[in-house]
Amino acid sequence: MNSFKQRIEAFKEVLSALKIKSRVIFALVLRETRTTFGNSSLGYVWAILTPAIGVALLVVIFAFASRQPPFGQSLALFFATGFLSYEYYNKLANSLMTVIDANKALLLYPVVTPTAAICARFILISITYLLIMFIFYGTLVLFGLADLPAYPIQLLWAFFTIGLLGLGVGVFNCSMIIFWDSWRQIFQIINRPLFFISGIFFIPSLLPERALGFLKWNPVLHLIEWVRTSYYPNYDSRVLDKIYVLSIAFILIALGLLGERYFRNKRS
Amino acid sequence: MIELKNIYKAYNLSGIHKQIFEGLNFKFSPDRNYALLGSNGVGKSTLLRLIAGAESPDHGKVIRKGKVSWPMGFSGGFNGSMTGIENLKFVARIYGKDPNAIIDSVNEFSELGNSMKLPIKTYSSGMRARLAFGLSLAIDFDCYLVDEVIAVGDSSFQKKSKKAFQEKFDKSFLIMASHSADIMKDYCDCGLLLDDNGVHFYDTIESMLEAYQKNK
Repeated sequence: MNSFKQRIEAFKEVLSALKIKSRVIFALVLRETRTTFGNSSLGYVWAILTPAIGVALLVVIFAFASRQPPFGQSLALFFATGFLSYEYYNKLANSLMTVIDANKALLLYPVVTPTAAICARFILISITYLLIMFIFYGTLVLFGLADLPAYPIQLLWAFFTIGLLGLGVGVFNCSMIIFWDSWRQIFQIINRPLFFISGIFFIPSLLPERALGFLKWNPVLHLIEWVRTSYYPNYDSRVLDKIYVLSIAFILIALGLLGERYFRNKRS
Repeated sequence: MIELKNIYKAYNLSGIHKQIFEGLNFKFSPDRNYALLGSNGVGKSTLLRLIAGAESPDHGKVIRKGKVSWPMGFSGGFNGSMTGIENLKFVARIYGKDPNAIIDSVNEFSELGNSMKLPIKTYSSGMRARLAFGLSLAIDFDCYLVDEVIAVGDSSFQKKSKKAFQEKFDKSFLIMASHSADIMKDYCDCGLLLDDNGVHFYDTIESMLEAYQKNK
């Protein structure tokens, strides 16, 4: 009887800790919204428009260079599936790297933990990018520039995995820069080429075997393949390895969180 | 009640190792108000952060019974580009309080009026401290941690804050880092003296001040 009571007590404690956590994360999300997008709602409109303009620019450039999309009927859809997915990953990887720096003043409040700050930023970026994608794909469908996704559930899984990988790379970066500040620059050097080798502009399956053997180590390429096989009814990928990209994501999340815990007392 | 159990804390910054606490044991009783005294860099602020839980010890344990405030001070905790009201709302939310009630109570206490609608970066340090002070009073804590901030504003405001704090002392207690003998005597009845040899408890502020002078 006694142990039952103890268990109830322990359960209650966990519940109240969860309640505090979610309260703090919610407050941080509101605060981040305010600080990243400014005072006006125009700030948020810009945040949504910028990636859309990026895709539009790609479409214009490539429409001049060649009329034929690499796949399907719509240049816009092909680049959107590549570019927006890449941008979502990239935004997470970069913004989470600096999340501790940005929230340092708030860590004075004992209830605000580094993990809460990470969660809050992750949630805000994910909501923003889901909205961007929804609006962008929705507009394409509305104007007859694209069909509805062929496998919507798979597409959601693909977005979810982009989030996981972005989170993984982001928290890994976040703990790396605590003990080695130069990692900021080094990560930029490693990360920048991904824009060109992740399949935003090409279909990986059509590459020669030798190039592919090298490029398929890039997890972002798998993410874009995942998005495309889910959106197009007939996009066959001979590269896509879902287990590979999920494992990379989980390993990086674990390393990042462990690192943060370990280096927490080392940061200045 | 707050208990420090065998606390170790060191900082490693750019290759310099500094041991701040080595096996510190102490029990804070809720019936007393504590002053922390020591020269700069001896670990007063670190001790407050450890007690608050804003930082964790390398070894050892801090046991807290009741709600402990964050270490109130001049710096940190507020975002300069956000208005006073926005900052208050954030803190109210993380502590699970009704933001509007907190704003009303801080407004009444701090007398900041319309300045509450301005970004904090436009505030003077006195106004900032009034805001921080009013905020921590608006949230009920069992233990208040204060980092050299208490004597702010003109004399009438000082009187007001002293009264507000004294009303709190029925239910809560205070741990305060300070350099001013008058303020320590006003607010505290015993003290901890921090120096390179460790942390020493004194039953009265006078005896602590005496020991501090002698060491110098």
